[in-house]
Amino acid sequence: MATKQKMTRRDMLKVLAGSTTGFLLTAGTPSQSVPSSKTASGPGFLSAPEANVRRGGVVRWAGHIQAPHFDLHQGALPWSLNFMYNGLVRMYMVDGRRTAVPDLAERWEVSPDGKIYTFFLRDGVKYHDGTPFTSADVEATFKRILSPPAGLAITMTGLFEGVENVQAVDRRTVRFSLKEPRSYLLEVFAVPQCVIYSKRSLDANNQDLRKVIAPGTGPYMLKERREGEKMILARNPNYWNPDIPYIDAIELLHLPEWTDRGTAVLTGRADMSPNTSVEMLREAQKRSDMGWAQQPSESLYIVYYNCQRKPLNDARVRRAISLAVSHQDLLKVFESYEGVKFSSWIPRASDLATPPDQLEKRPGYRPGKAEDIPEAKRLMAEAGYPDGVKGMDLVCASVASHAQVLAPAFQDQLKRTLNIESKIRVVERGVLIEEWKAGRFDFSLFSHALTTTLDPSPLWNVSFKTGGAQNYPRYSNPPFDRLLEQVNRELNASRRRQMVAQAQDLLDENPPWFVIGWLDYNVIWRNYVKGLEVDKRLASDLSRLDTIWLDK
Amino acid sequence: MQSYIARRLLLAIPTLFGVTLLIFLAMRVLPGDPLSAVTGEGGAVFVLNEEQLKAARASLGLDKPYYAQYLDWIAALARGELGKSFWKDTPISEILARRAPITFQVALMAVILSWLIGLPVGVLSAVKYHSGFDVGSRIVVTLFMAVPSFWLGLMFILLLVSLFSWRPPLDIVYLSEDPAANLQMTLGPSLTLGIGMGAVMARITRSSVLEVLHEEYVRTARAKGLRERAIVWGHVLKNAMLPILTFSGVIMGQLLAGSVAVERAFSVPGLGLALVSAIYERDWMVIQNLVLLYGGIYILINLVVDISYALVDPRIRYR
Repeated sequence: MATKQKMTRRDMLKVLAGSTTGFLLTAGTPSQSVPSSKTASGPGFLSAPEANVRRGGVVRWAGHIQAPHFDLHQGALPWSLNFMYNGLVRMYMVDGRRTAVPDLAERWEVSPDGKIYTFFLRDGVKYHDGTPFTSADVEATFKRILSPPAGLAITMTGLFEGVENVQAVDRRTVRFSLKEPRSYLLEVFAVPQCVIYSKRSLDANNQDLRKVIAPGTGPYMLKERREGEKMILARNPNYWNPDIPYIDAIELLHLPEWTDRGTAVLTGRADMSPNTSVEMLREAQKRSDMGWAQQPSESLYIVYYNCQRKPLNDARVRRAISLAVSHQDLLKVFESYEGVKFSSWIPRASDLATPPDQLEKRPGYRPGKAEDIPEAKRLMAEAGYPDGVKGMDLVCASVASHAQVLAPAFQDQLKRTLNIESKIRVVERGVLIEEWKAGRFDFSLFSHALTTTLDPSPLWNVSFKTGGAQNYPRYSNPPFDRLLEQVNRELNASRRRQMVAQAQDLLDENPPWFVIGWLDYNVIWRNYVKGLEVDKRLASDLSRLDTIWLDK
Repeated sequence: MQSYIARRLLLAIPTLFGVTLLIFLAMRVLPGDPLSAVTGEGGAVFVLNEEQLKAARASLGLDKPYYAQYLDWIAALARGELGKSFWKDTPISEILARRAPITFQVALMAVILSWLIGLPVGVLSAVKYHSGFDVGSRIVVTLFMAVPSFWLGLMFILLLVSLFSWRPPLDIVYLSEDPAANLQMTLGPSLTLGIGMGAVMARITRSSVLEVLHEEYVRTARAKGLRERAIVWGHVLKNAMLPILTFSGVIMGQLLAGSVAVERAFSVPGLGLALVSAIYERDWMVIQNLVLLYGGIYILINLVVDISYALVDPRIRYR
């Protein structure tokens, strides 16, 4: 039986009603009464949750916009570019659940066996250079992702590992054929970097968009770019949703330092920032003219174990460390630097994540170590290290909070609980990758945006599967590999949930990493900024500001 | 003098060649392959496999032998092309045109401030040798020499934000466009740098003036009945200027390269931050060309300082 996804007008109005309440509760000051605007309706036609929207103005957004290049599929930063593009679908909170909603695809069908995805594309959409959007663009985009031309490094290829082929069936229909089902695939299509480039741009630039900002179909168009300073994006007057955007332009201000972003918003030099420092968040919380939120992200702090080096090649040693080191203590040490939250192998915002109150009852995760440390010592003794280990190498990046706070805290825990002595070695972040590739570490501590989905499969495929593209710990767990293949394929939600729980148990018993926690982004804004809908999106989704408006 | 200048300019050429060789080799030798990872905020790491690395290297011309890459670069320089950003094709001349005026303005203001602070303090300190003023000023000067300029900058920003809910503008605004906004942006960093440099300037001025104060011609001038002010400002300072000029040249050269820490503290998008961004992004072309530019600036400034010796001290004549 085919599954259809279609948002009716009634569904959309329910969403608007629910999100208005939610937004008012989180943002504070209700909007002033201003003339109402017409709301377009239909699948994916978003609009601001507030009733009377004011048009015009320029939003000044403070964040990190500098990226080495402009090709989102080759790893460019979405923050500076996503505003200009659309994907086939995007993720939104609908009725309290994170759901794929239409973007460039009006609707879609998934075959009963989960191996055919058919997207029915919106009509009348144009790229910023006037080129009409058709299925040929989707086909060209995904052919590049699935089979990158020589010389290109399409970082998204691994996310679509189950997809065999993409085909433009007709002008408004595109079909993806899979080798085997992937129940999480819609979420992968909704990843912020998974934008649809025009075939024309791809052909004109030999498939390589690193050096050009290709035209998009998004609500904003590039007006001006000043390297290392800012980008100005103007409203797209021909956007396929005629009601938005409400503002005239967005100014993206490049402020790489988190505190600078916060001071910019607090002093009125900027209107909002998607991620600022904890101190600035606390300042914003004290002020009545500021809104704030802590948004879950797909980034996390971890410690790699080198599973091919003694003594960490013994799963008992890794398990012992994971039992003995306290998550809670590390989070406490770090809480004034970043908002890292307690979770395990899955982002905490995922439906499949173990809730913190249940996680805290499990060995290794519980706050009290009275039972865990003796068990850890027993495992160490069994592995042949009753007196601990000396001379281990703990590598971290030359980021102050990593090298001077987290790494020493982890080092101290290893020493106090299991008498494992380690030496902290600090290297530049760009060099860290080379250490991993060469296996020149015992432990490596870092923060990572390893995944861009809440579903665990994409992360686990690249990081934990034997031979995975980012499996730098050289972890190999055949029972986990076999279970992961089932998790990847399973379409029944309830069975899949059980399998994911079993997989997490396997990872707990034989861990490749120590998960310190998952990051929240500290979003702050001036109260006159409306339409953000932070309660309906993850941190990464904040690279789209379609419905934002200024109540001033 | 003209032949001297010509000789110095000719000598600059092998010096600059040396700079190009050093920076070219440094980029190739130092760890950190730009193609091994593309990173973004939060350390997002997307890594290339060996095959992808090889192909990407070839697409950027990095598969050529080192000597071929070097000669390509030198040939481009000889044609007057400063090159483009490694990744984004942004002409480096665009980066310079936009940021150099701000960096230059901050540097000039900082040097002027260092003179305004350092010269009077240094001269007075020397003239009132071992007095309360001398001891007090030396303590203050030592304190400001010890305090890092970026800390001073951060404290400025902190005070402004917390007491006045105000911070300098984030956009580049030139003096000719909007003097008020421009000064809001540049006064902070130049004051921060100027205070630190002023402290060093005061020390140098003090020791230089002290040396000259004990010269015979100064004693003669006093014996002739000249006022002390006229002696100090008309005779002593003129003869004590050489070390002060040398120091001014050195700091001007340093500041033209951009004070990274202060630019970061004030979020001023100057040349220093441009170099740091290029280093993080492993943008070899930008790094190489900026370092070469800084080398050229230093050579020019040294030449200007040397010429100024001849203007200040008639005894110095170049042939």
